[in-house]
Amino acid sequence: MSADKIHFVVIDDSKLDCFIAEKVIQNTGRCESVRSFMMAADALEFLGKQPFDDEHRIMILVDIQMPIMNGFEFIESFEAIVPEDRRRNYIINLLSSSINESDMIRAKAYQSVRTFLNKPLTKSSIEDFLVKI
Amino acid sequence: MEKFKVLYIDDEINNLVGLKASFRLDYDILIAESADGGKEILEHNPDIRIILCDQRMPGKTGIEFFEEIASKHPNPIRMLITGYTDIESVINAINKGHVFRYISKPWESNEIKFAIEEGNKFYLTQSMLTQKNEQLQKAYEELDKFAYSVTHDMRGPIVSVLGAIELTKSAETLKDVQEIMDMMEKSVQRVEEFMRNMHYYYSLKRGELEIGEINFEELILELKDLFTPNANQSNVLFDIILDQKEFLRSDIVPIKIILNNLISNAIKYQRMDNDTKFVRLEISITKGNATFTVSDNGIGIDDAYLNDIFKMFFRATSENTGSGFGLYNVKDAVRKLNGDIQVKSKRGEGSEFKVTIPSK
Repeated sequence: MSADKIHFVVIDDSKLDCFIAEKVIQNTGRCESVRSFMMAADALEFLGKQPFDDEHRIMILVDIQMPIMNGFEFIESFEAIVPEDRRRNYIINLLSSSINESDMIRAKAYQSVRTFLNKPLTKSSIEDFLVKI
Repeated sequence: MEKFKVLYIDDEINNLVGLKASFRLDYDILIAESADGGKEILEHNPDIRIILCDQRMPGKTGIEFFEEIASKHPNPIRMLITGYTDIESVINAINKGHVFRYISKPWESNEIKFAIEEGNKFYLTQSMLTQKNEQLQKAYEELDKFAYSVTHDMRGPIVSVLGAIELTKSAETLKDVQEIMDMMEKSVQRVEEFMRNMHYYYSLKRGELEIGEINFEELILELKDLFTPNANQSNVLFDIILDQKEFLRSDIVPIKIILNNLISNAIKYQRMDNDTKFVRLEISITKGNATFTVSDNGIGIDDAYLNDIFKMFFRATSENTGSGFGLYNVKDAVRKLNGDIQVKSKRGEGSEFKVTIPSK
């Protein structure tokens, strides 16, 4: 497996947004696999079963505004479950359709959050980000 | 006009009796012979608007008394009755804001009456200001919440559609395009629903009630027209049962908001794997009340969320496309009609909403 291929996990309560993200990700050429979840709890369960391996890099794209468990709550649960020394295999990005400054400020406060991406996700917005990692 | 309460504290009983006698027709005069007695009366009469207090009393001066009550009873307008010899301390008290004005001894009826009237005007202005401030504060908070939600609930689906349009440009087959279109349709419906609810919300906020006799036959026909196609499409049996023993006077608009929301929720939140989906509305009008019961055998609501479902923008499920606005509007509409709403629900079994509206 090539090191620059990545496993993607998309978490978004909108089916359409999951679909868009999957398509866009598949078109980047960096996609080893992509899974999408409409509920954050299901994604956490899936992530808990993933192997810890430097070759197995996982990029998580999680929407901020979701019912039941929102994006921030997901990050908090993630940080509680995954110990710090194991987080280097994960690249977590928050997604949002809101242009809300307080959300961006809050996003920066989480140690494990890499960046904040605006919706809609496009091929160019995700590629711009992928070249940096 | 209703008489408002004026408290008068003076250690000279003759003054108390004299003032009470002069103004008994104009005001509701409460009297106390000491500062402590005055405090006691204040405790039991939070609606006292004006306090008149003699400056020279044994044990405590009027100014000291006013300072003592200032934090606990900030609303009543305070006036000091005093002789000229105390003028220094009076000026001080007025400047510190403890006292609205002073009345010199011996007082004249006209002077007292004028002072009380002025004080009352000030009191009313102030309490109106406080009330308006509270309303404004609440409106601001709602606006904040609203603005935040607008970016998600309105911009979100539109942004999704934009993303989808981008995708269709590179779609390879017609089938791919159709699949994307179906999802786009749901997004657009979500914005549409959000806006409709917003319209409901503001018509409830602004509108005065228009009370009339409710025509239930007409209402039922309208509801059937509105929901039967939707229910058929989702394989839900939709049924309305009417048991009208008497007339009901109320406003039809909030009733429609309540029923539209409850029924569309019941149709929307069904269990996919259920072969006998139903939504039932029972209306009974008896003993001066109308009871609307909307029941279904859908996904139900977790106990943990039952207390939150009426809050603005709360969503208890990621299934389907809720706006988080509907039940908030329902509760608001029920409140507007002085009604009551009860909910019984069990996750995986179904829900029952019971709304009781009194006849006006």
